[in-house]
Amino acid sequence: MLVALLALTPVAYLLFRGGISLPLLLRELSSPTTGILVTNTLLLALGVTLTCAGLGVALALLVVRTDLPARPLLTVLFALPLGIPSFVGSYTWVATFYELAPRSTFIYGLPGAVIILSLAMYPYIYLPVVAALRGLDPAQEEAARSLGTSAAVAFFRVTLPQLRTAIAGGGLIVALHMFAEFGALELLRFRTLTTAIVQRVTVLSAPEAARTLSLVLAVGSLALLVLDLKVRGRPSAARTGGGVARAPSLWRLGRSRWLWLGASGFLLTLALGVPLSAMGGGLVRLLLRPDAAFDWARLIGATQDTAQYALATALAASIAAIPVSLLAVRYPGRLAMLTERSTWIAHSLPGVIVSLALVYLSVRWLYPIYQTSSMLVIGYVILYLPIAVGAQQVGFGHASPQFDNVARSLGVRSLATFFRVTLPLALPGIAVGAVLVMLNVGKELTMTLLLHPTGTRTLATALWATTEGEVLDFAAAAPYAAALVAITAIPAFVMIRQTLRRPARR
Amino acid sequence: MFVPTTRRKAVTWLATATAAAALVFGAAKAQGTTAAPTTLTLYSGQHETLADALAAGFFEATGIRVDVRTGKDADLVNQIIEEGGRSPADLFLSEEPGPMNALASRGLLAPVDPETLAKVQPSLNPGTGDWVAVAARSRVIFYNPQLIDESALPKGILELTDPAWKGKFAYAPSGAFVSTVTYLINAIGEDQTLAWLKGIQANGLNLQKNGAVRDAVEAGQVAFGLSNHYYWYLLAQSRGGEENLASRVHYMGGGDAGALLLASGAAVLKSSRHQAEAQRFLAWLADAQGGQQIIANESPQYPLALGVSSPLGLKPIEELSPPAIDQNSLQDLDKAKELIIQAGII
Repeated sequence: MLVALLALTPVAYLLFRGGISLPLLLRELSSPTTGILVTNTLLLALGVTLTCAGLGVALALLVVRTDLPARPLLTVLFALPLGIPSFVGSYTWVATFYELAPRSTFIYGLPGAVIILSLAMYPYIYLPVVAALRGLDPAQEEAARSLGTSAAVAFFRVTLPQLRTAIAGGGLIVALHMFAEFGALELLRFRTLTTAIVQRVTVLSAPEAARTLSLVLAVGSLALLVLDLKVRGRPSAARTGGGVARAPSLWRLGRSRWLWLGASGFLLTLALGVPLSAMGGGLVRLLLRPDAAFDWARLIGATQDTAQYALATALAASIAAIPVSLLAVRYPGRLAMLTERSTWIAHSLPGVIVSLALVYLSVRWLYPIYQTSSMLVIGYVILYLPIAVGAQQVGFGHASPQFDNVARSLGVRSLATFFRVTLPLALPGIAVGAVLVMLNVGKELTMTLLLHPTGTRTLATALWATTEGEVLDFAAAAPYAAALVAITAIPAFVMIRQTLRRPARR
Repeated sequence: MFVPTTRRKAVTWLATATAAAALVFGAAKAQGTTAAPTTLTLYSGQHETLADALAAGFFEATGIRVDVRTGKDADLVNQIIEEGGRSPADLFLSEEPGPMNALASRGLLAPVDPETLAKVQPSLNPGTGDWVAVAARSRVIFYNPQLIDESALPKGILELTDPAWKGKFAYAPSGAFVSTVTYLINAIGEDQTLAWLKGIQANGLNLQKNGAVRDAVEAGQVAFGLSNHYYWYLLAQSRGGEENLASRVHYMGGGDAGALLLASGAAVLKSSRHQAEAQRFLAWLADAQGGQQIIANESPQYPLALGVSSPLGLKPIEELSPPAIDQNSLQDLDKAKELIIQAGII
């Protein structure tokens, strides 16, 4: 409950900070842009979420359930775009287009934004689906097959429904991310509620007008959260049989495997190749420049700060998330649902609004920690708590209460049961959550700008400072972008290796 | 049932996590203890490289350390307002006059030493003396000669509402754009300004940022764009010279709204506990031998101290013929915001 209250503080700020009144709200809503902004936001969120769901599930199936060559390598590679912040990715696309086809405006507007952001976001669905597919017992699907259904039908009717929690959890993250995305969309010249909110705050210095739009956004995310509940349905099917589940039989791709491999290569070229080559090109130009006076100490300092914040937040968010996810999975009910859902709302608000709320609150009541790293970590936790909760729910979903009951019946006390039975079973989910939080913290920009301790910088703010999205020469930004990608790729890589190992139990 | 490796993994995980926590708390504590008595905190809306160079230069001259916090003008203004009397900032350095005036009108700025004000061109200081003008940017047009002749460019920005210009130009609702709108409200009135904004919205390409306007013109996506001279010279610098660019700068002159000269200001916050040192920073910043040299050499803005000029090939400031205004008159940001939102631009 405390955790939920903390997560709701930005919303309270929206409602109670002076300057919002009904007439203002009505005037804002009737302004000519509001309708366009709402439509744009919905189209973008829908387009990106559906594209990511399609890509994520298809890729997960390819690496888990087919005999595609080089699957272990591809499993890792497919997850790596996660480490490329969307604003960096878009930046590299814009830079690449300026270099190769300067007059083309293909990447701007809705289609460009959907394609480029989907390429950056699909791992949020791909990863949980891979984890869920690995955890599934093939027995159910085989039972369906033995009753005469075809492989495809068995997949759609038996397996896919079991992936619902994973897909819905990932999809919700993607959709809410789209609600809150700013940097990438500004670069891709697409206007949404969030870009308007950020511009109202950062250019017009009109936080009142921004807060009204934020309310519209908050209502939108509430609707999405309800929708997600309906799609997700009940958590289902923990395996309880004795013995160890077999690995599922693989679908044979036959000759088409080369086609699939080619398609995978093409996708990776777009999702990884373009950003990495733009960064590599920038690095080379920087090193070849005669006046190469790059401040390496600054880069190292920023890397250390980023790593520290990311680790601390991953830890704090994981601990804060455990009661929420446990409550939601084990004791589903109105209270649990409200608690769990409430953590999501702040996630969909633009970082600027959440940060302003925290500035306002901490200056008044928590002044000693204002602009310290603790404050920043608290801010990160509020933003990324739901990501940890989403992943943990999958984990706890697989830790059937029946195991607890068995342990309890053997005389283990309840706390011990939690640490010795539930937690280890849910650990893969908790770890996924922690890593996702870490990645997001590494990439976060807007909140860091407002809350970081003066004099320190993270890779994202240092990157922003070299470019401000206004210098198309990628050279100065390249080292920060490369370090950012490197630092976020490491946890992703470790985590995937972990999932790759066949679990000894089950 | 449970193979020991699982539990061992859990233990490893918890151990790692605890270590991480210790690391961070250690770091937080270390940061808490480093505050020395003579360290000034500067909130800066200028690009970080310039702000850092100024901090280093001041330290060299006086031995007083300056911690820089960079952001957008309006972001920092919001932050200072939310921080109220407890703002950790001693100094504010802006890109635009409007944000300075916003803080001044809320009574958050301490008056600047008259001696400091006297060091720079008086025409760009605000009449109130709440802040000092330390650099200036000129509104200009960037154009691509492959797409349009310089002689075919509009004579003034007011004529851009003519449908003949539809799709020909780009603009960005930046801080300087807001300043332009504030100026227009004073010059032609609210109704005319709103009509102009609606025309711009209908005819122009809204590219959100000045850098994007410049790049689109340079790439040939659009014939010309409204922006600040500053951005084009930045690009020229990074490409190794003006001759390497396809686009060119057109100074409108003639006292047109499109030739507005906007001051970047510096000020001491009233809440600062280091008033003397902070005023000293302003004095140094406005000095021809001090900060003005760094501004002239590190960024393509106009330095304002008498006797200092930019070595970066800008059109001399005496030849610009901008509209004659008091920078302090660019104050009614609220009206400007309202009109910009009403016109559907943001």
